[in-house]
Amino acid sequence: MSQVLRQHAEQQFAEELEELKKADNRERPENWALSPWAVAEYLMGGTLANGFQVSAKYIGNRRLMETAIATLATDRALLLFGVPGTAKSWVSEHLAAAVSGDSTLLIQGTAGTSEEQLRYGWNYAELLAKGPSKTALVASPLMRAMEQGKTARIEELTRIPADVQDTLITILSEKSLPVPELGIEAQAIHGFNVIATANNRDKGINELSSALKRRFNTVILPVPASDDEEVSIVSKRVAELGRALQLPGEPPTLKEVRRVVQIFRELRNGQTEDGRTKLKSSSATLSTAEAISVINSGMALAGHFGDGVLRAGDIASSLVGAIVKDPVQDAVVWREYQETVMKERSDWKDLYRACRELD
Amino acid sequence: MADSPATPFHLFGIRHHGPGCARSLIRALEELQPDCLLVEGPPDGEEMLAFMQADGLVPPVALLVYNPDDAREAAFYPFAAFSPEWNALRFALERQIPARFIDLPAAHRFALNRPATDEDDGQVPGVAVEAPAPPEDKAGVENCPEVAVNTSGPSGAPLDWLGRAAGYDDGEAWWNHLVEERGDSLELFAAIREAMSCIRNEAPPRTSPASVERREALREAHMRKCLRQARKEGFQRIAVVCGAWHVPALSEMPPAKADNDLLKGLPKIKVASTWVPWSYHNLSFTSGYGAGVASPGWYEHLWQSTREDRAVGWLTRAARLFRESGLDCSSAHIIETVRLADALAALRNRPQPGLDELDEALRTVVCMGDEVPMQLIRRKMTVGDRLGHTPETAPAVPLQRDLQQQQKSLRLKAEATQKTIDLDLRQENDLARSHLLHRLRLLDIDWGSLSRTGRNAKGSFHELWTIQWEPELVISVINASRWGNSVRQAAIARATDRARTAGSLPELSELVNQVLLADLNEAVAPVSQALENHAAITSDILQLMAAVPSLANIARYGNVRQTDAGMVEHLLDSLVPRAAIGLPGACSTLDDEAAQAMRTHIIALHQALGLLARQNLQEEWQQSLYRLSELGSCHGLICGLANRLLFDEQLTSLEQTSLRMSQALSIGNDPGPAAAWLEGFLNQSGMVLLHDPQLWTMVDGWLGSLGEDDFIRELPLLRRAFAAFSTHERRQLGERVNRSTVASPLTSPSDWDTARAEQVLPLLHQLLGIQA
Repeated sequence: MSQVLRQHAEQQFAEELEELKKADNRERPENWALSPWAVAEYLMGGTLANGFQVSAKYIGNRRLMETAIATLATDRALLLFGVPGTAKSWVSEHLAAAVSGDSTLLIQGTAGTSEEQLRYGWNYAELLAKGPSKTALVASPLMRAMEQGKTARIEELTRIPADVQDTLITILSEKSLPVPELGIEAQAIHGFNVIATANNRDKGINELSSALKRRFNTVILPVPASDDEEVSIVSKRVAELGRALQLPGEPPTLKEVRRVVQIFRELRNGQTEDGRTKLKSSSATLSTAEAISVINSGMALAGHFGDGVLRAGDIASSLVGAIVKDPVQDAVVWREYQETVMKERSDWKDLYRACRELD
Repeated sequence: MADSPATPFHLFGIRHHGPGCARSLIRALEELQPDCLLVEGPPDGEEMLAFMQADGLVPPVALLVYNPDDAREAAFYPFAAFSPEWNALRFALERQIPARFIDLPAAHRFALNRPATDEDDGQVPGVAVEAPAPPEDKAGVENCPEVAVNTSGPSGAPLDWLGRAAGYDDGEAWWNHLVEERGDSLELFAAIREAMSCIRNEAPPRTSPASVERREALREAHMRKCLRQARKEGFQRIAVVCGAWHVPALSEMPPAKADNDLLKGLPKIKVASTWVPWSYHNLSFTSGYGAGVASPGWYEHLWQSTREDRAVGWLTRAARLFRESGLDCSSAHIIETVRLADALAALRNRPQPGLDELDEALRTVVCMGDEVPMQLIRRKMTVGDRLGHTPETAPAVPLQRDLQQQQKSLRLKAEATQKTIDLDLRQENDLARSHLLHRLRLLDIDWGSLSRTGRNAKGSFHELWTIQWEPELVISVINASRWGNSVRQAAIARATDRARTAGSLPELSELVNQVLLADLNEAVAPVSQALENHAAITSDILQLMAAVPSLANIARYGNVRQTDAGMVEHLLDSLVPRAAIGLPGACSTLDDEAAQAMRTHIIALHQALGLLARQNLQEEWQQSLYRLSELGSCHGLICGLANRLLFDEQLTSLEQTSLRMSQALSIGNDPGPAAAWLEGFLNQSGMVLLHDPQLWTMVDGWLGSLGEDDFIRELPLLRRAFAAFSTHERRQLGERVNRSTVASPLTSPSDWDTARAEQVLPLLHQLLGIQA
């Protein structure tokens, strides 16, 4: 096992990508590692003609992924939109890995992201010693992607200040990046594209200008449509992460996963699964990603401090942490949920007691 | 299609309303040059085929077959411009080839349906909407209309099995891709036939009720019988167009005897048929039409556009729609949408983008991934809001003709989209429109509904209507035609009939109202006569009283509508005295709840009479109030109210009223009635108490006259009466009380020790810096 805590997608699934490349005999857009069809196959999983199993990276609507891939194939930039934890970054990483074989050309958007980070910076020692030259130029991941014909990723696009965002407009429409200091420009070659992610819960932080909006095709990633879909996402990711993080202990039972997912869904939707009882919704996002981390920390607890089997008590503590984000409001929501829903479910007694002990 | 040369039959299994089928069918017919065309459809409607060449018949239209005695027994057979049957029939008519309908006649089917609907008597016999044959599903499987809407499942739709077998989500997508969206192909019909034979053999037995099974068998037997008949007449190349599902059943001919036996002695009723306009919405699944298609608008586009400009044409229409609705959508958007749709189609191995691809591309590029604006596309384009048109020469009940005539002359078009119109009743045309809509409402033809909100609330000369023409309204029109041959005549007859059968007074007064709104002078006499008759014998004073306010309104404000106010006044002359006379008796034994109800009626009536300002009616009414105001004559609430009303009208003096008040509220009385009296007297109007000095003085004077003990005993009653006022009113009352006490000097002796109080004064002076 490698020493790296978390491998890049193209490292972790190198074998799958290799097999797909072998099986893939369809037309590839220039500089793409795989054909669009094979990229879809990589994301959604399936069995190749030679019997090789490709695991599913995205569990959900295939049509959405096809739209995303087709967008990249038409050299339009792709914007993945959605509430936190709906696998936006996950999808963008795997798309980049499958399309370009490289998911590392990444710019993390923050309030402090500057134009240099999007375009290019300077190695000041070089700059002072020798004056402006190509060697003194430090290319951003975006610029490198243009030169190499690869996919660049921008995370949290809406957190980048609006004036900096607009730097992207020229790059996306002209597909070139001038460097006036040197009188040159970097022209994108075939295969270059941008995948940006943004979450629509924090809408309005730095709303995209309509000029920029127009240059993106938007795909909204929804929260999992059904209970079963969400359970399968959580179990799968937990198993993978457990392996990667070398968590001791058994893989979690489906029952615990199902319970956590159900609690999250019910609090998110503001009503119980059977639709009988109305609930207050918590201010926390309660995304699938958070459900995964709840199970994960429960497993760590069980492995290190318990008998290795995930039990109600192990989940309870991280469950509270995930749900109660606002100490006043959410505590009420959570308390009500315990008393009105959990208490009533006869097979949830253990979880109810475990949660009450923490209060 | 590839039948052996011996048989003259050429079977074309189609999907109802499939443009791809239609295109292939026309080419196949051109190649075959048939000498006879048989189409799955009701033989009862055959004489209507002649109208298909008339100019005025614009699809979507439906062939309506109905029972002239009871139009609720009716079936629609819709056709769109892209329906294969429609095109096949036109083909035959243009070339003067005999064309016939071969399905089981509706005359039999209505008769067969009867026992089933008679059993559950609560239910109105369902109106079947049929594809040229079948509800249920696209391939042409008959099912009874009641269950047609919600059967979907493995045994429901044969197309779904095939679609799933081919790896599609459902049969719709599969069929669209393979048949409707692709180019013409003559092998199509052989392929459809093979697929259907396979399904009919392999599929598990359909779990439909026995009656449905039997009707299925009857229908196919009848079709075969017609086929044999055509062969007997010596036609050489007979083209048979039917739902794909029936093809296998028609390709093998069992002995004629078996079919004839099956069809022998079927019950039969009289039916009539006509063409009626139909809408795309009614052609879609969502309307509950079993043989409907998901996207009539898209199919029309498929039918009209060439293969090359299909996507671009669709998307530019979408762009225009978005812009009209105020959403940003530039040409650049559309260019990108076309590119994305093409890429998606390539990714999915489609020769060109279908509806799904176009939808997804639009959502991603134009709508920022948002689902909501796509609803607009779905409603306006994918389904569409086209409404067909029928020629004036087509047979129709006279009432229908008259209605069309009026729609034309009043410029009030029957449209499938919902529309709100604001009628200004001072304008002649608007007034006539209002009359028409009110008359239709009387006839239960719910084209428009009157909304009571908006500007209507302000002026009595405005009427806000929401109108939407549903093609099914034709049924109501035909139903209503038994009342008369013009809208006006029918409405009069209907109103008169309702007046005869009406059971209660409010119903009648509402009817009077409607009749006047609809400007049916001839009906006013019989209806008001019925009302008078009813009023004479009714002992229910509440009903009498409830009838008055709406009539009073008409009498006062009716002149906007130029109605005959004299008629109403005559009615009021007989109603009000009756109510006034009966009222004291009716109030003698009331419990609290009934008293509350009575109070609202009395107040409403009092206001109505105030509005009328007619001396003779007022006097009657005041007499009645005098009698109510006498203590002990009725419930305290009513008694108090009567006193108050009289006091307000200044019919009783201040002294008399205060006397009554102290009597009613004196200590000897039971607290309950006394409280009720006060409540009735104050009449929930704190404001009036506040601003009417006379009333104020009286209540104030009475309160002031109470001794301390009495006051404490009265306190609960007062609290109860005042509790009905709003907080704001109570606060203002309190303030007013305060003001008046401030004005009067404080007389009560101070109960503090003056000597001790004076001791702190020097210090206070010092603190406040005042020289003593």
